[in-house]
Amino acid sequence: MENVRKIIENFTCEYVENYKKTWLKAKLSSKDDLLNLSEAIKKEGLRSLSTVSPTDFLEDNIMEMNYFFEDLDTKRNLWLKVDLPRDKEGCKIESLTPLFASANWHEREAFSMFGVQFLNHPDLREIIKSEDFKGVYPFRKDFDWDAHEKNQTQNIQQIVDAFKKEQNENEKDLDPDSSETILNWGPTHPASGPIRLRVHCDGEEVISIDPDIGYVWRALEHLVTKKDFVGAIVAVERLCFMDNINSMVGYCMAVEEIAEVEITPFASWMRVLLGEVARVSSHFMGLGGFFNNMGLHTLGMWNMDTREFFLDFLESYSGARIATASIEPGGVRYGLDMSMFDELQKALDKFDNSVGEVEAVFVKNPTMKLRSDNVGILTKEEVHEFGLSGIVARASGVKTDIRIDEPYAAYGELDLEYITQEKGSAKDRFMMLFLDLKQSVEIIKKAKAHIEKAVADAKMNPTKDHMVKVPKKLPKGEAISRVEWARGEVLMHLVTEEKAKTPYRLKMRAPSFNHTMMLNHLLKGQTLADIPLIFGSLYICQGDLDR
Amino acid sequence: MILQILNRTLRVAKALMTPSPANKDVRYEAMHNPSRYRGEHRVDYETCIGCDSCNKICPTHAITMKKFPFKKQNIVPEVSLSVCIFCGLCEDVCPTKPEKSIILSGGRYDMLSGGWHEDQNDFWVHTDVPQSYIDSRLEDEEATRVKKELATKKKVAEAEAKKKAEAGEEIKKVETTLPDFNKGVLE
Ligand code: SF4
Ligand code: SF4
Repeated sequence: MENVRKIIENFTCEYVENYKKTWLKAKLSSKDDLLNLSEAIKKEGLRSLSTVSPTDFLEDNIMEMNYFFEDLDTKRNLWLKVDLPRDKEGCKIESLTPLFASANWHEREAFSMFGVQFLNHPDLREIIKSEDFKGVYPFRKDFDWDAHEKNQTQNIQQIVDAFKKEQNENEKDLDPDSSETILNWGPTHPASGPIRLRVHCDGEEVISIDPDIGYVWRALEHLVTKKDFVGAIVAVERLCFMDNINSMVGYCMAVEEIAEVEITPFASWMRVLLGEVARVSSHFMGLGGFFNNMGLHTLGMWNMDTREFFLDFLESYSGARIATASIEPGGVRYGLDMSMFDELQKALDKFDNSVGEVEAVFVKNPTMKLRSDNVGILTKEEVHEFGLSGIVARASGVKTDIRIDEPYAAYGELDLEYITQEKGSAKDRFMMLFLDLKQSVEIIKKAKAHIEKAVADAKMNPTKDHMVKVPKKLPKGEAISRVEWARGEVLMHLVTEEKAKTPYRLKMRAPSFNHTMMLNHLLKGQTLADIPLIFGSLYICQGDLDR
Repeated sequence: MILQILNRTLRVAKALMTPSPANKDVRYEAMHNPSRYRGEHRVDYETCIGCDSCNKICPTHAITMKKFPFKKQNIVPEVSLSVCIFCGLCEDVCPTKPEKSIILSGGRYDMLSGGWHEDQNDFWVHTDVPQSYIDSRLEDEEATRVKKELATKKKVAEAEAKKKAEAGEEIKKVETTLPDFNKGVLE
């Protein structure tokens, strides 16, 4: 960390300070230094750029840029800020994409939502938002959503027209004598989910892939700013329905940091327990999805069967199976009725009884191994370069897991170990999912035992300890929090104003965004039949991809 | 090998023998129905104090407040279930005690089941308030108004009486002092 600090201090900064254990926070005085500084810290080892997050300060006429650099190996991170003028002419900054490949889409997003121009970006097209937002920047504070909504018919027409235009132009540049074509894979392909890949292919061979995303764009980051701090959880949890708990945990941690509230041990353990239940239910779907994409639906069905038992527990605890809305700033939303653990035990038993069979039939499946062991290989280097995380990173042998790197909730009290694979192929990612699932179940068991013991010893009161009061109005401040989400690292950057009743800005960095970026890289030169397989192995969810 | 085949045949045979877990018609009966289940809302118009909190917190604007002709606590929530996301925040913020006036936990799960719905109105939690309640509230209000009016009248009257009395006393005082005064003068 000292080295990083020294490097930063070579440049003129407004401040350099320590932030949390693993972070350094600094603000550059001039945007002209950004490129040089980034290059220097990249050499030092902070090779991944997690995300780029602009904050629009309308009154001060400032667009504040936030860059989050990470070193997945040594766990040193840097939060770098620099101010830009807000007006269209001045809102320009050097692009970091030539240095950090992972910046590519994140800069495109910042450009689309805030109108920040990135100079020397190789491919600065708008992304996520639909055609009717072309040329306007919806996340700027002075954007008038109501006025935009008024022209609904016109907006839809614009989307349709743009699509037709694209279809008409598609074939123009293609060689008429070859078998080259542009194929739409999705958004209604059985394996795709709401995403469309523009696959430029020659017969069976894939030449390039340009993903078109944004089919389920709900502007969650904007919606959050329209709600109070508690109500915001329903927007945050919609990051993805499969693992909604951990996203709420991340958001609530940021709120608690600004409010300077500490949650009870019971609430921290519940966050671990519920978070792992959500992770399990997500991994079940991921494992099933992998086989679905190869054309075998049995594993998906079996997994769904077991998953229902875990959802039963979530439903008993929170009243809803999927959108649980069960983590609030200050703790967890509901008290626990200890009899609910009987249901959890049922789910755990069901898992223990069926996991052997799943392993025998599917995990050791020779056909699956043949099919997926040599495709979609991601090297360690690429993991760093593209800022990959979660099971995708661990499948390539990179030891990264926020639960261990930056323990939150009660994870610090658990002895967790990194689980990794070596090769980084599609098969390794599948294996990783399975091992992660088993690890999660173990964590659930430990957390459950811990809570049971503490309750029996009268150290925890499950019906009263779940919440501490968080004031309705928060002071001016900002915080970041990171959680190990089912799909990888989620980074939340929360900004509040003086006497805030609502978040001023919430940036949610979601892992699928980076993972989808890899599709072109992985599928170039492969065949069409590899698309579903590799797509499935990246464990992408459109919910957090589009937000 | 043969053993394995036998083993697998046995397993399949066993699987065929076990009764299917799908033995409930979930259109009418839930597989799992916990007491906290967030379902259709119940609104108690008698305890609701019309504070509007539920309406304000609702993230999807599913709640509209129905207005009554009387003057105080004259709004109650109505919920459009086709907009509602069943987050339960309205229940959380409701301040009435001991029972919340808007409750969805333990609510009905079959609201979307039971056949074909033609009408959006099927998905509204209407707060039907009997006319008699409105009348009684109006009467109550009228009664309090009358009572208040009477009270103010009484107060005014009392105040006046007091004034008069004071004035009278002064007069009296004057009267009582007058003779002395006169006396002095006379003397
Ligand atoms: S449950 Fe949530 S969405 Fe439904 S009415 Fe209540 S606050 Fe609104
Ligand atoms: S929060 Fe409760 S008391 Fe207030 S208006 Fe709603 S139902 Fe009535």
